[in-house]
Amino acid sequence: MQEALIISNIVLWLVVLALVVIVVALSRQIGVLYERIAPMGALMIDQGPKVGDPSPIMTLSAIAGGDEIHVGSALGRSQLLFFLSPTCPVCKKLLPILKSIRTAEKDWLDIVLASDGELPEHLAFYRSAELSSFPYVLSSQLAITFHVGKLPYAVLIDEAGRLRAKGLINSREHLESLFTAKEAGVASIQEFIDHADATAHASRSVS
Amino acid sequence: MAVFSLVFDPVAVHGLAATLAILLVFGAWQKLRDPLVFGAAVENYRLLPVSWVPVLAVCLPVMEAAAGVMLLLPKTATMGGGTALLVLSLATGAVVVNLLRGRREIDCGCGGLSHQPLSWGLVSRNLALMAAVLVVMHGDIERGLVWLDYLTVTATVLALFGLYVVFNQLLANRPATPVFR
Repeated sequence: MQEALIISNIVLWLVVLALVVIVVALSRQIGVLYERIAPMGALMIDQGPKVGDPSPIMTLSAIAGGDEIHVGSALGRSQLLFFLSPTCPVCKKLLPILKSIRTAEKDWLDIVLASDGELPEHLAFYRSAELSSFPYVLSSQLAITFHVGKLPYAVLIDEAGRLRAKGLINSREHLESLFTAKEAGVASIQEFIDHADATAHASRSVS
Repeated sequence: MAVFSLVFDPVAVHGLAATLAILLVFGAWQKLRDPLVFGAAVENYRLLPVSWVPVLAVCLPVMEAAAGVMLLLPKTATMGGGTALLVLSLATGAVVVNLLRGRREIDCGCGGLSHQPLSWGLVSRNLALMAAVLVVMHGDIERGLVWLDYLTVTATVLALFGLYVVFNQLLANRPATPVFR
């Protein structure tokens, strides 16, 4: 009898642990689903303008004044739209990196910071974070146009006004992968890997 | 009385102690790995002068990790429990203040890149952790442990850790609207 109880106990634990693993996987998938169906509510898998297509064109004014900022038009120079907010911790980590990229890549790249919200809060952030070398725009329309969900988010537009790469940015490597994606002519590292897989698969099936 | 001795059975106490140790050390490591990000999260709570933030951004995770390690050893379990209660009540108090202020959209700074917003769910999660700390601090019932008890402790730790991950994931899940936070 006792042996039976011991065995049943062990079996039950194994089942419980297996169920826990399944619940973890399911809750993660729910998170992914939420991202896919937002922000319209209906099932909309489209994630904003496609990479390779001409970028939507907008003209915005910078919060510090000065010239108007043209987003997405063929400017002869590439443009990096960096979406951030004063209350996003990861954005703050990336600011020094953005400053160094601005200096290192100034031959071909303009960086535009974009956010949304109340002007005084953003002006205070603009000053305290010493962002005066960047144009800074406030526009919820811009974020909606580019389907910005989570922050920090970046969009790379090339010199001809085409969208070259975009994605959620959490580190310097993520930012640099956008430039790599532009050079390689792919939308994202994921697409590059998928593409490489598909090519490998095709060459295998031929041989 | 029977329920009392079940809650404070060495298996429950060891299982909870090991789970808490893992959660605290893991959480501290995630915060210390990116002190700038955690510092910015602390600043978002708007409870302290900005000049104190970098100090607290290091002190809190260090205390958290120390509490985790001390909880594992029976000799230091009481001290570790006290430290854990202090860290948890500071963090939970900060969350409650900001929830009452209506600042729900800020990142909780729980570690990692989860973008978890503030919620009463987070508060109840921390209260549950604090209750577990109290159980560990007051578990002094002695009982000869057999091999099956060790299996139960191991499985309990794995299951509780999994449930903690699920709880956090569910708190982070929500419609991704283009809200700047």
